[in-house]
Amino acid sequence: MKKIKEIAIYGKGGIGKSTTTSNISAALSDAGYTVMQVGCDPKSDSTNTLTGGKSIPTVLESLRKRRGNLKVEDVIIEGFNEIYCVEAGGPEPGVGCAGRGIITAIEFLKQENIYEKYSPDVVLYDVLGDVVCGGFAMPIREGVANQVYTVSSADFMAIYAANNLFKGIKKYSNGGGALFSGLIANSVTFPAQKDILEDFILQTKSTIAGFIPRSLTVTQAELWGKTTIEANPDSNQAEVYRKLAKSIYNNKEEYIPSPLESDELKNWAESWSDKLLELRKQEEGDFKI
Amino acid sequence: MTSKNEKVNQENILSNDQIQINSYENDSVEAPRYSCALSGVYGTTLGIRGGVPILHSGAGCGIGQLFGTLYAGGQSAGGNEGGTSTPCSCLVEEHVIFGGEEKLRNLIQSTIEIFNGSLFVVISGCVPSLIGDDVDSIVDEFRDKASIIHVNAPGFEGNSFEGYEQFWDAIVKQLLTPKEKQPKLVNIFGIVPYNHVFWKGELLNIKNILKKIGVDANIIFTEKDGLENIKKIPSAEYNIVLSQWQGHEIAERLKNKFQIPYIKFPSVPVGAKQTSEFLRKVGEKLNISSDKIESLIEEEEDRTYRFMEYPADAVILVRPHSYFAVVADSGTAIGITKFLTNELGYLPDIIQITDNPPDKYRESIVKEIIENIETVVRPDIIFEADTYNIRENLKDRPFLFLLSSSLEAPTATEDFGALHISVSFPVYNRSILVHNYSGYDGGLQLFEDVISTFVGPL
Ligand SMILES: Nc1ncnc2c1ncn2[C@@H]1O[C@H](COP(=O)(O)OP(=O)(O)O)[C@@H](O)[C@H]1O
Ligand SMILES: [Mg+2]
Repeated sequence: MKKIKEIAIYGKGGIGKSTTTSNISAALSDAGYTVMQVGCDPKSDSTNTLTGGKSIPTVLESLRKRRGNLKVEDVIIEGFNEIYCVEAGGPEPGVGCAGRGIITAIEFLKQENIYEKYSPDVVLYDVLGDVVCGGFAMPIREGVANQVYTVSSADFMAIYAANNLFKGIKKYSNGGGALFSGLIANSVTFPAQKDILEDFILQTKSTIAGFIPRSLTVTQAELWGKTTIEANPDSNQAEVYRKLAKSIYNNKEEYIPSPLESDELKNWAESWSDKLLELRKQEEGDFKI
Repeated sequence: MTSKNEKVNQENILSNDQIQINSYENDSVEAPRYSCALSGVYGTTLGIRGGVPILHSGAGCGIGQLFGTLYAGGQSAGGNEGGTSTPCSCLVEEHVIFGGEEKLRNLIQSTIEIFNGSLFVVISGCVPSLIGDDVDSIVDEFRDKASIIHVNAPGFEGNSFEGYEQFWDAIVKQLLTPKEKQPKLVNIFGIVPYNHVFWKGELLNIKNILKKIGVDANIIFTEKDGLENIKKIPSAEYNIVLSQWQGHEIAERLKNKFQIPYIKFPSVPVGAKQTSEFLRKVGEKLNISSDKIESLIEEEEDRTYRFMEYPADAVILVRPHSYFAVVADSGTAIGITKFLTNELGYLPDIIQITDNPPDKYRESIVKEIIENIETVVRPDIIFEADTYNIRENLKDRPFLFLLSSSLEAPTATEDFGALHISVSFPVYNRSILVHNYSGYDGGLQLFEDVISTFVGPL
C-alpha cells in the first residue's frame, strides 16, 4: 500500500481552517493527487466550498438514520475535481457530546477501510478547536493523522487555541500520536501581525508553514460556493494557496512543540499589548476602506 | 488509668496507631461494600411503596443494580417497579452524541401511563450528566401530570450511601411544602434501604417501640402510601437520625427549611442498653413523662434480661469472653460492637468500617465506639472498603466471631478460624425480611444468631 499523507488542521472557530484546508485540497487535487477532506466540526461546513456551497450528508446523521447499515458511499461525496468530501457532523449546539461524535465518526471511517477503497494520496482532517476534550484530540492520536498544522491569526484567542493544541500534541506524542509540522498564519496583512506570530513560534520552538494574506478574493469565491483555486485560479491568492499546498505536501518536518504555561502565555501576550493596540487602530482604518 | 491520661487519650484519638483513618478513594477498590450514587437513589426509591424509578442511563445501570444492590441487600428483589421491570432509557452511542432528551421524554410519558405508581423518580446516571442533558426541564413538563422528581446521580458523584442523601435533597427541593405541625410526629432518617441490610425490620421495630411511648414515627419506607408519608415530613415535631453520618444532610436541610430540629443517634439502637438510652433521649426531647418512659423500660428490660439468661449457659460454658471482628457500614458496626461488648462481655478485636464516611465524620465514628465500650480491650478501627484489604486486615488475629458481609462467609473458618454471621452489605447468603438487631428484641436476635453459630450440630 502506498504511503498516505494524513494531515490534521486545527484552529479556533472562524479563523479560516475550512477555507484554508479546502484551498489546499483543491490545489493538491489540481496538481494530480487524490485528495480526501474530512470535516471534524459539528458545524459540518468544512467542504462546502468544494461542493458548490451545498451541505452533504454527515457521517453521524447517517449512522443514526441507517442504524448499522450505513455504507461509506453514502457519506463520501465527490466534490470539485473528484475530491472526496466527508463531514463527521455532530449534535445541535448545547446538546449531546460533539467530542464523542468525532470519535465515533473517525472510528467508522477507519472500520470501513476507506483508504483501501478510495486510495487517497492525501487525507486532510479539518478539526475544530481548542482541543477541549478527548474527542477533539482523536485525530492526533496514534493511527489517525501523522502531521498536524494549526491555522492562526495574530489574534490572541487564536494563539491561545494554537498553544492548547501544542499541549495536546505533547501529551499524545508519548503514545505515538501525531507530531506538529507548522503554523499556517492566516489573515496576515500588517507587519506587526507577522512579528507577533514569529515571536510566538520562537517561544514555542515551532515553525511557520506559510503566510496567507487577508483577501477579498476569498470572500468572493466563498459567496459562489467555491474555493479560490476553483473560482479565481489566476489570482495572487490562488498562487499563495498553491505554494502552501506544495510545501505542506513536501514538508518532512515533524516535531513536538513547547507549549507555554498559562502564566507564561499571559505574560507573553502582555508584552505585545502596545503593538496589538496599534494594530487594532490600523485594522479599523483598513475596515473603513 | 488516671483521668488525666484518659483525656490525653481522647484528644489523641486519631493518632493512635490502632486506628486507621485511611482514605482509599484514590486507589482501586476490589469488591467494594457499596455501589454508586445512582444505586443509592435507586434503592431508596424502591424502598418507598409507590415509588417508581425511571433510570436515564445505560441499560446496565438497571440490571447491574438488580444483582449489585437488590439481591445484595439480603436477597431482596425490587418488586413490580424494580429489577428487570425498571423503566430505563437504555442510552446508546447515538444518545451520547446527540443527547437523550427525546428518548427520556417518551419514557416518562409511557411510564406514567403504564405504572401504578404515586411517586416517579427520574434518576440521571453517568451519560446524561457527562453530556449535559437538560433533564430538569423535561421533568418540568410532567410536574402537573404526576408527582415526579429528578435526581441527578451520576455514579461517579459518590457511593450508594451518598445517593440516599441526594434522593432526599431532591425531595426537599422539588416536592415538600410547609405543613401544619403535628405534635409527637417524628421522621426517621439514616437507615439506607438495601445498603443497610436490616432496614425493613429495623424501621418496623423503631416504629413499634416509639408507639409505646406515644410517639408516631413516620418511617416512610416499606409502608403503604409512601408518597403520603413523604408529604407528611414537614409536619414532624422532630427528626430522628439513626446514623453517625447518613441522614445528617437531610436533617440539616429540614431544619433550615421547615424548622424541624433533629435528634441524632450514632446507630439504630441494638439491645436493651442502647434502646433504653434511645427512649430516654426521645422522651426528654418530646416532653413525654419520664414515668411513662421508665415504666416501659423497666418492663422491657425485665423481659429482655430474663430471655438473655436462656442461652447464657452456652456462652459461659462454650464461648465466654470471645474476641469478635466486625466489618460493616458505620451504623451496623457501632450498634453491634457496643452490644456484643457491653451486654455479652465479648471482646472487640477489629472493626472495619465499610461505608466510606466523608472525612469530617470519621473521627466521631471512632470516638463513638472507643468511648462507649465497657472493656479494657482497645479494638483496631479501620476504614476500609476493599475486600482484599479487609481480608488481609483479618489475618492472624484472635477473633472467634466474624460479623461481616456474606463475601467472607464461605471461607471464614478456613481463612480466619472464625464463625461467621452475615450482617452487612452485601448479603447474598441470607434472606432478610424482618430479621434485624434493633430494639430490645433485636438484641436478643443478635444473641440468637451468635449462639446458633456454635451450638449443635444435633
Ligand atoms: N485569508 C482570508 N481572507 C479573507 N477571508 C478569509 C480568509 N480566511 C478565512 N476567511 C473568511 O473567514 C470566515 C471563516 O472562515 P472558515 O474557514 O469557515 O473558518 P473555520 O473553518 O476556522 O471556522 C469565512 O467567511 C472565510 O471566507
Ligand atoms: Mg470550519
